Amino acid sequence: MGLWQRLVRWARVKSPWILHFNSGACNACDIEVLAALCPRFDVERLGMLLKGSPRHADVLVCTGPVTRQVARRLRRIYAQIPAPRFVLAVGTCAASGGVFRGCYNVLGGVDEAIPVDMYVPGCPPRPDAIIHGAAQLLAALARSGESAAGQPYAGTARGAAGGGATAPGGRAPAGDGQPAGDSEGRVAP
Amino acid sequence: MGGADWTAVLRELFRVLVFPGFAFLLLLALAGEWLDRKAYARYQHRMGPPWFQPAADLIKLLAKEDLVPRLASRAVFTFLPVLALAAVACAYVYLPVAGGRAVYAFPGDLLVVAYLLTLPAILFFLAGWFSGSPYGAVGGVRAATQLLGYEVPLLLAVLAPAVVAGSWSISEVSRTLAGRPELLPLQVIGLVVALLALQGKLERVPFDIPEAETEVVAGTFTEYSGGRLALFRLAIGAELVVGLTLISNLYLGGHAAWGPVPGLVVYLFKLAVLVLILAAVRAAAARLRIEQMVTFCWRVLVPAALLQLFVVVALRGWWLL
Repeated sequence: MGLWQRLVRWARVKSPWILHFNSGACNACDIEVLAALCPRFDVERLGMLLKGSPRHADVLVCTGPVTRQVARRLRRIYAQIPAPRFVLAVGTCAASGGVFRGCYNVLGGVDEAIPVDMYVPGCPPRPDAIIHGAAQLLAALARSGESAAGQPYAGTARGAAGGGATAPGGRAPAGDGQPAGDSEGRVAP
Repeated sequence: MGGADWTAVLRELFRVLVFPGFAFLLLLALAGEWLDRKAYARYQHRMGPPWFQPAADLIKLLAKEDLVPRLASRAVFTFLPVLALAAVACAYVYLPVAGGRAVYAFPGDLLVVAYLLTLPAILFFLAGWFSGSPYGAVGGVRAATQLLGYEVPLLLAVLAPAVVAGSWSISEVSRTLAGRPELLPLQVIGLVVALLALQGKLERVPFDIPEAETEVVAGTFTEYSGGRLALFRLAIGAELVVGLTLISNLYLGGHAAWGPVPGLVVYLFKLAVLVLILAAVRAAAARLRIEQMVTFCWRVLVPAALLQLFVVVALRGWWLL
């Protein structure tokens, strides 16, 4: 591994910018995620910053079961994040669908829609558990330098936009008229 | 051409590109961003990021996928971050840094620096406007609106030291005021106005309206990712350093050596103090609305800057200067 690759891997581990996405959670996990971002826990020590735009993010922190309504949006948000990108599933519902598993309107856990790199169990998990999960994700990244998640999304975001069609249990992420939704319509340089 | 010419050319290139030019500015930009974030964290009773954080952010962004939205103009999208960094770096060579000497100086460079420091805000507007995203467009329009607020008080504030020194050259103003430190307390109002206007220029809290993440995602930079975003962040960090160097030259008596203390140490010390002040403003305030910001600039900052100018002109006209 060359010096530049080692430097890049080090930088990725030291500077994870996160994007928080609620894919249908009851808000308990979201409150714990926000608590983890508060000055008391000071995740900026690990280089973490909460970002508003998916274009700036590295880690998608996803809470809740994936409802059928939100699955397409979740895939599109994921595709809008520039590669390499990682997913942290927070809470029991995000891991498996939890108590909502099998509901007519619920697809299941986050990994039914997009590949997940690390799961944080709990209903809801404590903020320190969430930070521990993020640290585990970074440790895995430091070891392997790659996303642990599945192949369909491992390439560039351009490939991922089409790759959504192969994700289990979902339709292809066609444009559905959201104002900011030009995610399929961009070119990688 | 003789050998002596080549040495002169090399020395000139070194001064423009390495010290105290471009490379030094980039180093200071990273250090300034770290100090700002660390101080901000300490004001909130946090530990804050480690010292290498801005460098890690920069390397990570450079190695990330860099996307251009289909609706964006590709050439403009690529060109703007480079131009923003270039404008700020150009302004830096006219500022006296360590030891009170600028790389280049000519009568009137104060106006050139003020112009070059205005460029990034206009480029931010264009970046938002041409990124093909409604959030970017709204952020860009806000950046342009905000420009109308802070630009006039900043120019008025910068005018006062120039009147005191009777020169439009930053080096000349800096040297004159360093020779007469008793004049510095007379310019406290101008210093405060300039610092607040710079806070607006850098789009920092309480004037971070163009990037308000709760309203417009990331405003101007919503669609920017990877290397282009890294360049924009670097340009903003460099603008912080350049703006504070300008203020330190005009209001804090420049960077000549204090007895045994070398000029470089004096420069870094003054810069660090100003960064701590700006971080304190950021930590103490909440975001204003756009019309509150413009109103504040025109009703408070502009009269204060005019008062400062009046004081200076009156003193110069009657007895003191």
